[in-house]
Amino acid sequence: MLKIDNLHARIGDTEILKGLSLELGAGEVHAIMGPNGSGKSTLASILAGREDYEVTQGSISFDGVDLLELDATERAVAGIFLAFQYPVEIPGVSNINFLRTALNSIREQREEEPLSGKDFLAKVKACAQLVELDGKLRDRSVNEGFSGGEKKRNEVFQMAMLEPKLAVLDETDSGLDIDALRIVAHGVNSMRGADRSFLVITHYQRLLDHIVPDFVHVLAGGRIVHSGGKELALELEEKGYDWIVDAEAAEQA
Amino acid sequence: MNEVATPTQHAALAARVSEACAAAGLVGEPQAEALEALEALDYPTTRQERWKYTRAARLLKVTPTASAPLQAPPVVVESLDALRFTFVAGQHISGETLDEGAEGCFVGPVSVALERYPERLKAWSNSAFATQEWFAALQASAPQDGVCILVPAGHKLQRPVLAHHHMPDGAHVAQPRHLVHIGDHASAEAVLWSDNTSHAEGMMNAAITASVGNGASLSLEIIQDEPGTVHHMGHHHFTQGSNSNLTVRTATACAHWLRNDLHILQDGTHADSTFHGCYLPNGDQFVDHHTRIDHAHPDGQSNELYKGLAADKSTAVFNGKIMVHKDAQRIEAYQSNRNLLLGEQAAMYAKPELEIYADDVRCSHGCTTGQFDKEALFYLRSRGMTETAANNLLVQAFLAEVLDGFRPEIRDHVHSVFARRLGWI
Repeated sequence: MLKIDNLHARIGDTEILKGLSLELGAGEVHAIMGPNGSGKSTLASILAGREDYEVTQGSISFDGVDLLELDATERAVAGIFLAFQYPVEIPGVSNINFLRTALNSIREQREEEPLSGKDFLAKVKACAQLVELDGKLRDRSVNEGFSGGEKKRNEVFQMAMLEPKLAVLDETDSGLDIDALRIVAHGVNSMRGADRSFLVITHYQRLLDHIVPDFVHVLAGGRIVHSGGKELALELEEKGYDWIVDAEAAEQA
Repeated sequence: MNEVATPTQHAALAARVSEACAAAGLVGEPQAEALEALEALDYPTTRQERWKYTRAARLLKVTPTASAPLQAPPVVVESLDALRFTFVAGQHISGETLDEGAEGCFVGPVSVALERYPERLKAWSNSAFATQEWFAALQASAPQDGVCILVPAGHKLQRPVLAHHHMPDGAHVAQPRHLVHIGDHASAEAVLWSDNTSHAEGMMNAAITASVGNGASLSLEIIQDEPGTVHHMGHHHFTQGSNSNLTVRTATACAHWLRNDLHILQDGTHADSTFHGCYLPNGDQFVDHHTRIDHAHPDGQSNELYKGLAADKSTAVFNGKIMVHKDAQRIEAYQSNRNLLLGEQAAMYAKPELEIYADDVRCSHGCTTGQFDKEALFYLRSRGMTETAANNLLVQAFLAEVLDGFRPEIRDHVHSVFARRLGWI
């Protein structure tokens, strides 16, 4: 489904990704952990098509398509969804209007009929229930005045509405209390399926108690330096990252 | 372009305009002070502070040809139930006058009001602008027909008024005057709509003079939807009594070259004024909103919000003056002006002016000019919106604060004009 090969990327003169390779199969959940500044959010941004980053080397293929040839809109149409670490507030645009525009824009580009008003509202209702987003938040301006937890729930709500093939969660657990974390994780878990993959980027192991990954990768210095099963997350929580990063450095030397 | 208007040039313009207006039909007597002022005042040039960014010299070339054919233009906002009056190039062509007699409400053309109730207009209908600004003096020296709304004390006008002024194809001049008088504790709502055809040229030099009595309320929506190349000067003057409420919303949906002067005088205590506006020039259009509020008495409030976008090579000007007079204590005056530049060659000149001579007041102003929030644009696109859909949504969001104050049918119209002009629908 997703194949990243030897990805190098920089912003301005700063090189951030230095040969990152990663493969995700359909229906798999991969977690990416790593110290601050290791390039986790850069990876998320690049997958979603943020134009601030320049890919200097390597390739990303998504369902056999060269992802780097697509702009942000086309990637969403292709089925990629990024849950933002810092969801953007858009005063004056209601959440509902925003979603309707997005959904119909995607359908139009896929040459599908627009969703009827009735079907759309039924879908809104079902998806909002999934993350316990109440009616008021649906009608308010996008993310405006939302608490940290509400913003993240709103991201998962949007994800449920757009039904992506690949969902990238960029530190979706940051700023969440334990209840919100449980709700967000429940939303994500109920969307797991054979044809949907997740890339869960997180600092902390606690999210992975709720969203149990198939694989855990450690990103450090712009590369995946270690991969393992879900138990790796626990080990990292206990021992920190240094032992892996040091071992990697020793190996390189 | 020659920036210096020689006396012969602007005197010649005045003569051409007055002659054309007289030929088409004037309404009432020219204001005597205006005739004097027209002689005495300087023609506006960019050397004057009030006209620094506004090149009025181009209006010197306006040369009206034959009178306009008086055909009814297409109806605007059909769904709005209103007392409707239509004017073409300063002439009344349709609309049924509401006349409840000397003690009651009157809504009809100024020409009819002057015939039936000259004494009701006498005390207040001369515009103070007419002695201060050359173009206002020109308007008052050859006034033409507009709508007249007279609501006596204690009355409430049941239906809104929609006065539609239209400029047809060709080079015409129009100098409509609109008169509004709301008696003490009376109220009314009105829409002043000006539009024209895409082959209209010439000049529209319009004046609104309104007086809102003690405890009275007036809500006015001004829509300017003018393709073509008409030059539009607006002189809008409002006087408010104690405890009165005034709301003026202006949407410049489309204008080739436009200058609005809006002046509000709070001539009593506890007056409340809300004036909002939005504008969106594109191509090489020019839009200039000059506003001024005079807080002349204590305990007044004002809330001003103007938002605009300048696209392509267009220019927008905003100048907002708040004048708090000596002894006008406990005033609360808020002004906000927000702009977005959508074109690399677009220009925005924004100037808040606060003059405060009282010591116990709350005044604030905020003025920003920026570009689209790239992060917001990326967010929308990452949800699958095309750049066009995302831009459209952001403009809608940006203007919502102002546009949502209009009647829904008017808001939708203005938004669709904006979207169409930017190629977004």
